Amino acid sequence: MKKYVLLVSVLFLVLGLGSAHAAKDTVVIGLQGPITGAWAYEGQMAKQSCEIAADLINKKGGILGGKKVVLKVEDDAGEPKSGALAAQKLVAQKDVVAVVSTYGSSVCEPASNIYEKFKKVNIGYGVTAVRLTQRDFNYFFRTCGRDDSQGKFFAEFVPKKFNAKRIAIMHDNTAFGKGLAEDTRTALEPMVANGQAEVVYFDAITPGERDFRVSLTNLRETKPEVWYFTGYYAEAALLVSQARDIGITCPFVGGNAAINDEFVKIAGLNVAKGCYMTNEALPGDLPYPEAKEFLDAYRAKFGDIPSSPWPIYAADALNIIAYAVDKSGTTDPAKLSAYLRDEVEGAPGITGPIGFTGQGDREGVPFYLYVVDDQGKIVVSR
Amino acid sequence: MEQTPLTGIGKLASSRQLHVALATAVFLLYPFMVSNYYIDIAFYFGIYTLLGLSLNIVLGEVGLFDLGHAGFYAIGAYTTAILNTKFGIPILVLLPLSALAAALFAYVVCSPIIHLQGDYLLIVTLGMGEIVRLALINNPFDLTGGPNGVFGIDFPSLGPWLVIDSSLEYYFLIWLIVGLTILGLTRLQDSRIGRAWNYIREDETAANANGIDSRSYKLLAFVLGAALAGVAGNVYASKLMCVSPESFSFWESCLMFCIVLIGGMGSIPGVIIGAAFISLFPEIFRPFAMYRMLIFGSAMMLMMMFRPGGVWPRKRGAVKYESLLEGTGRTDA
Amino acid sequence: MHVILEQIINGLTIGSFYALIALGYSMVYGVLKLINFAHGDFFTLGSYLGYTVLVFGAALLTTHFGLWGALMAALIFAGISLAIVGLIVERVAYRPVYPAGRLPAVVSALGASIFLQNAIMVVWGPRFQAYPSALIPNVHLQIGGIHLTLLQIVILVMSFALMGILYYIVQKTTFGAAIRATAHDRKTASLMGININKVILFVFTLGPALGAVTGIMVGMYYRQISFTMGWNYGLKAFTASVLGGIGNIPGAMLGGLILGVLEMLGAAYISAAWKDVFVFIILILVLIFRPTGILGEKTAEKV
Repeated sequence: MKKYVLLVSVLFLVLGLGSAHAAKDTVVIGLQGPITGAWAYEGQMAKQSCEIAADLINKKGGILGGKKVVLKVEDDAGEPKSGALAAQKLVAQKDVVAVVSTYGSSVCEPASNIYEKFKKVNIGYGVTAVRLTQRDFNYFFRTCGRDDSQGKFFAEFVPKKFNAKRIAIMHDNTAFGKGLAEDTRTALEPMVANGQAEVVYFDAITPGERDFRVSLTNLRETKPEVWYFTGYYAEAALLVSQARDIGITCPFVGGNAAINDEFVKIAGLNVAKGCYMTNEALPGDLPYPEAKEFLDAYRAKFGDIPSSPWPIYAADALNIIAYAVDKSGTTDPAKLSAYLRDEVEGAPGITGPIGFTGQGDREGVPFYLYVVDDQGKIVVSR
Repeated sequence: MEQTPLTGIGKLASSRQLHVALATAVFLLYPFMVSNYYIDIAFYFGIYTLLGLSLNIVLGEVGLFDLGHAGFYAIGAYTTAILNTKFGIPILVLLPLSALAAALFAYVVCSPIIHLQGDYLLIVTLGMGEIVRLALINNPFDLTGGPNGVFGIDFPSLGPWLVIDSSLEYYFLIWLIVGLTILGLTRLQDSRIGRAWNYIREDETAANANGIDSRSYKLLAFVLGAALAGVAGNVYASKLMCVSPESFSFWESCLMFCIVLIGGMGSIPGVIIGAAFISLFPEIFRPFAMYRMLIFGSAMMLMMMFRPGGVWPRKRGAVKYESLLEGTGRTDA
Repeated sequence: MHVILEQIINGLTIGSFYALIALGYSMVYGVLKLINFAHGDFFTLGSYLGYTVLVFGAALLTTHFGLWGALMAALIFAGISLAIVGLIVERVAYRPVYPAGRLPAVVSALGASIFLQNAIMVVWGPRFQAYPSALIPNVHLQIGGIHLTLLQIVILVMSFALMGILYYIVQKTTFGAAIRATAHDRKTASLMGININKVILFVFTLGPALGAVTGIMVGMYYRQISFTMGWNYGLKAFTASVLGGIGNIPGAMLGGLILGVLEMLGAAYISAAWKDVFVFIILILVLIFRPTGILGEKTAEKV
């Protein structure tokens, strides 16, 4: 008997460790992200970004007349089951007003079901799968764009720019990369129908692999005039350097996860220069004062700016939650969600003015074509 | 090996009844005292217990090294997901169907490889598990949704009267299934089949010589184990409402392997303890953020150092391991 | 024809990585019948140590020893460090569970793997790390229409040299004979006066050191490393060692090379996305028809 009592009480005690009670003069915002696991670098940068964003808000006097924003981080390890548990943990905490959640679309799916059921506003920051906002959810939003908007941009802009007819599309079989590749192919269909373009190559590589020479040899044999890769920078850097090794010379265009400073570092300047990417405005090019302020603070604390675009969307998700709570004066989830959906228009954000569609998508995320210049800087291509 | 004096049997029975009664009371009261998060932890604890029990048949009872058990789990989960979303078949109808699908799959794949021994069986099952996962990612015939997986799976329901859609109801669903499974498996342990399995584990040649058709018994273990994993897959899929390939990685197979060994091979209470360790430990150490897996790894090593035979090894017919240093003249640690 | 030759050379390059890692698995398995799941993380750790030397010591090293000197320094440093780490892991994670048998050792090995992987993440951070590309000579060659890089040739030469040395040690020296004898029949070997402890320590020094060297070569070849990469390479290398006949040293080399070439050909002529499926199916077929691997001896194993 004693043993059981002991066991059960120890269990409760230990499990209760994480849920310290928050003081009344704070507003707690949750962050669910991959702090461990294969996407840990993304999750940890998102955490740092949200910390900076919260700091900046607090330095300016907080929200709701002086309340401080406090961040509560839960790890989802980039895995659906852990994501669902993290979401349960966050919805169980009544003081968490809303959640920044999460990086990967397939982790977001079960988690957002839970947030929806327990009526907690959740804003995705790296979840670009189109279907997420087609579920008629009340509490789901995202600050990042959708796969199909980028695909449309590619189709309208890129073939014309390079005067290219033979287009190769390569993805990495991840939810994000494959989605973008398929949306791009769909967006190209009218041009294919009237003979302006031809998709000569459409295949996947395996992420986490290092050797892509085989796929690239196949790609080379299709003689593409432009080559679009929709995966992540880790693979993109390997792909471009291996492609140059085996004699592929056509322009390389990466999707918005493909090119960043790490890409240049891994591929080396010789290989990286002249590579293009389709992207929302990059942190450094964001013309908004909020962006400069945020990036300066981030650089001051962590030595460098985030190496991928997503952490900045996480920071903006936190910003918009704080903004909505402050302006609407409520932490009631239903009212908060309605406010975000209907009232928020052109709210200041690091990535530009923030507003949401009726479905919870971000309104107007403009895309640009970027290029790596001779110094290895990523600049808007003219 | 502990010996219980004959005169103590009555006393043992009553203390055992007390334990069971207490455990039941804790089990019934627990979900009404805590938040959904803690109920969900207990739910996943139940899933891992079921998975551990299913692997325990193969690994613990028969001693077959199976490092691809997540493959069977995946088959169960995806059968449920696909049939439910494409044809609207209710989840509870799919429960036996998923078990059947996983069992059938196990029968087909394991038939040609069942004669393999030890580590060779291990690598082949590992390969089988990886093939399943890779196939799910590659989206054959547009069925599995590729890396995105399948989404929009229903809740289990019995007409309009009983819809299982809260954490509480899922908790009771999974533990009901686990309870029934334990009841069945305990009986199986003492049956002719259970004893034949243990005989094969201890000495296959002798078992064969005594007229046990080891091939059929080994296949039976795989089929039964796969069926249970399929059941776990069914419940998991409906609970998460979506399935995607990263839930069925090689790592998941490794975790199941650890559940059985941490608890003690062939021991049902051991499986529960092993599953508790695997599912509760990372949650308990959540506050440690990026250090939690570091602690988890160390704990696994420590467990094996201090309880190499498992935390709760099976008393009767406990598995004896041969020392890795057998014949080296070194017996120290 | 050029294309297929090119694919085969690419396959051999990646296969030689698998082969060198597989050697570590196979030696430990031969002596202890233990699957050392932490071996893939030895490889990762070696790669990160080499990275650290190249990034932080590069300026100093290159001025004194030149480019190749710096590389050698990284290889030697990582090799020796990993030999020490290997011994520590053997002492801490494995030796206490030897008397308990092989299955608890598997759990302990998985625990060691998680520990090492996450320790690397904590120390070096979760980001991908870029190997300094300026250090790596990037010369493109075209020999009879086949595209090659100088680095590829260097890696192939180095791997084959390492494999040759190991082959010599194991097949021609007395100590090698002791390793083979232990792998073949430990009891008898021990009765014949072979010091099994020494053999165990030897395989736990040499295996991780080889893994570390491979880690650096992988870093140079692909120019980027991540803390999770050991798991994938470990899985493939373990597969390779079983394919060749686990416990058998020439088998591990052959298995690795075959696996690499199969993977490349599968990707080229079947489908890049299905290539691992193709590899595992071949593995299963080989084991069904030749249950002890390509070079494995037929034994009546009792488990």
